Amino acid sequence: MMSFEYLKRRFKEYYKDNREKIPLVNLFNQREFGFIPWDQQIRMIRHMGFANRENLIQHLINNGPRHVYSSGSLYINPENQDMKKKGYQGCDLIVDIDVDHFYTPCKEDHDIWYCKECGKNGKGMVEKCPKCGKLKLKKLTWICEECLDVAKKEIIKLIYNFLIPDFNIDIEKIKIAFSGHRGYHLKIEDNNLRALSSDERREIIDYITGEGISFEILGLRKMGNNIFGFSTETIGWSQKINRKIEEILKMSSIEIETLLSDKRKFNLNQNFIENFLNYKNNFLNIIKSNNLNNWTLVSSTLNTWYNFLEPIVDQIGIEVDVPVSIDIHRLIRYPGSLHGKTGFKVQELNPNDLDDYNPLDEQVEKLDPIVFVSKVQTIQKLEIIESNVPATKIKGESFGPYKLGDTIEVPHHIAVFLLCKGVAKSV
Amino acid sequence: MSDIYDLVKRYPWLPSLKTSYSDIASKNPLDFINEIFTSDKSNDIKRRVLTIFNDAFSNIEQLSEYELDENNIYVYLILKIILYIINNKILSNRIANIYSKTTYNELNKENEYNLYYIYQDLNLEVLYDEQPTIYKKFVVKDQQEIFKTNFKISYLNYLKLASNLKDEYRKLVNNAVRQGYVYIKPENINRLLQEHVRMKFLTQNNEISTELDKFKEKLFEIQEFKALYDTITAIWESKKEEFEYTIDITFKEGKDISETFPPCIKEILSKAQEGQNLIHTERLFILWFLNSLKYPEDKIINVFSTLPDFNREQTAYQVKYAMKKGYTPYSCKSLKSYSLCFAKEYKDVLCLEGYFSRLQEVQKDISHPLKYIEVKQYRDSKKLKKTKNQTLDKK
Ligand code: SF4
Ligand SMILES: [Zn+2]
Ligand SMILES: [Zn+2]
Repeated sequence: MMSFEYLKRRFKEYYKDNREKIPLVNLFNQREFGFIPWDQQIRMIRHMGFANRENLIQHLINNGPRHVYSSGSLYINPENQDMKKKGYQGCDLIVDIDVDHFYTPCKEDHDIWYCKECGKNGKGMVEKCPKCGKLKLKKLTWICEECLDVAKKEIIKLIYNFLIPDFNIDIEKIKIAFSGHRGYHLKIEDNNLRALSSDERREIIDYITGEGISFEILGLRKMGNNIFGFSTETIGWSQKINRKIEEILKMSSIEIETLLSDKRKFNLNQNFIENFLNYKNNFLNIIKSNNLNNWTLVSSTLNTWYNFLEPIVDQIGIEVDVPVSIDIHRLIRYPGSLHGKTGFKVQELNPNDLDDYNPLDEQVEKLDPIVFVSKVQTIQKLEIIESNVPATKIKGESFGPYKLGDTIEVPHHIAVFLLCKGVAKSV
Repeated sequence: MSDIYDLVKRYPWLPSLKTSYSDIASKNPLDFINEIFTSDKSNDIKRRVLTIFNDAFSNIEQLSEYELDENNIYVYLILKIILYIINNKILSNRIANIYSKTTYNELNKENEYNLYYIYQDLNLEVLYDEQPTIYKKFVVKDQQEIFKTNFKISYLNYLKLASNLKDEYRKLVNNAVRQGYVYIKPENINRLLQEHVRMKFLTQNNEISTELDKFKEKLFEIQEFKALYDTITAIWESKKEEFEYTIDITFKEGKDISETFPPCIKEILSKAQEGQNLIHTERLFILWFLNSLKYPEDKIINVFSTLPDFNREQTAYQVKYAMKKGYTPYSCKSLKSYSLCFAKEYKDVLCLEGYFSRLQEVQKDISHPLKYIEVKQYRDSKKLKKTKNQTLDKK
């Protein structure tokens, strides 16, 4: 618990030193706030409202909370405990993209799980224990540049493949934030979108993820022994699919083979892959043409095409944490606040900042979420209290991996990170 | 091109009713009814209202009469008032379905100018492009089916109208979305308006019953209105059973096995009964389910007859097809993944806790709705035997 006291102090200091820099969210005083304190007995303090920024900052300085959230929703009385009496006025459209919720190959290196039931442990992303099948897993997930890069690319895809071309969303209204841990969120601050019901939000999210797509409705047909695919001269998902196929067909044969046989992605059989490669150029001509759509040369069974098209949809669609977008009473991390599991800042970004953004090694100082780097080189001494701790790579330098009982000397920001993660204690 | 007065006569649910017929729209319902039932229009309007109810009761799918004169406005308003005070879900749904379907057919007869006006009146952001846009194309051999349209509707409006239709064709992901608009043919917008009109009749009556009673009392002082109301409720009373039980199909020597249905089935059936929309998966499931219980074709078709978009021919075709193919209905696992399992909501003990298999001597989960029926029927037959034995004992 000592380290919690320490971290709390550091968090308070941060808020004090940065009181001018904490941003003000749009329509600030209509938002509900929530806090998770360091004291582990208390889960979340919700239903708070702040009349002005000064009050919020003062609260942060006084309490140095572990996590800080505000609502996507707008309320007349944000502090009312009763949801019905809050006076709901609408909710920003929020999309959360977090690698916690989808597969990345590098998790095999840096995410550790341990089964509380049978004691088995391993690396990677598992839902339940592969040995005993129980769900009682303890997981230690780690930050990683590669994972964050995947998440960032999803955000970019979301903006430039969906929000702007399909929904005509004004880029000025898009706000992005690095979550301070393993993902990004995006919100759209627009009065028309704020009025959307949960059902309507789900429809938009289904569109963005490709959920509920019907290949028949889009035009896939079997007639006799022929398969007729999508025509290119269309609007919507059928066009997106054809473009993706075109993109794949333009890859080298080796790349295609690797992609299509990848168990986590296409997992297609050799037969299909062979045909696909043999007729690569013919198929490319068909896909590019406005009037040709006989896809039979690659395969004449509908099922095989489903097996091919479903992963295509997954590739086009965005990996979204769906409930966050649909639930209008959710709270999301407040920009400029600190993430209690890392000590990193929740960093607001403009869409233009995204391309070169690298939260773990950011060059633009005002966008750098790693706030506990000291000006003078200070080294802190810690003891590792977790059996296995993966390597931590921040600002181009790698620390670890560590084992239980290791005593280590690390720079200040790494110390804060390891303490926040709960894998070390001060000595 | 029709002017807005004419359009409101045809479509009294248009917002312009309030401005173009402000003398009607601004009245309070009591004065309004009073005036109507003492005017010379009275007889014609009464007759038409009654016809609509009769149409609804006789299970036909379209209004037998729909005139586009001023009285049509009165008929619409009176229908709504009557449904409001009868306050019966099944009845409201019946009228809502049949009325909105007629609306749909009428809308489809309008030319593009009138449609454009109607959409504007509803404050929909619908744009008309001079050049039609191709948004979908099916090419099969030398034949091309090209979908093109001059209309596009803002996706926000589209969602407002379509998001509770819950059917695959209406899902945004299966539609042509570009630059904030959905490219759509007018008949498809009209289908969405059908739903909009349907909902007009279904505004829940949430007022505390004493107030409703007071309102009724006042209305009933108007003799002519009371008479009409009584006639309608009398027919309803006599037909009610037929309606409430159309789904509890009793066949097989009059034995009703719907009591043994699991929650997932009961939920869909009660939705259908109320005339709510069913999503595609629900339709398939119920179809395959009843089919595997060997329900007769016409009984199955009748289950669907209350749905807002019911089309007898099409349904018959689908039912026949399913019967021929003999598909197995979804398992509990699939139903759960589709969020169609209602075990928790119904607090159904058999679904939640499973049953004890004597053969294998283990507690087993219900894994399939058909298994549920099997277990239920087995238990019922046991009960039957027991009571039989008990009575024998007494003898
Ligand atoms: S457990 Fe199975 S039978 Fe019971 S409601 Fe759920 S899906 Fe239906
Ligand atoms: Zn285990
Ligand atoms: Zn990673």
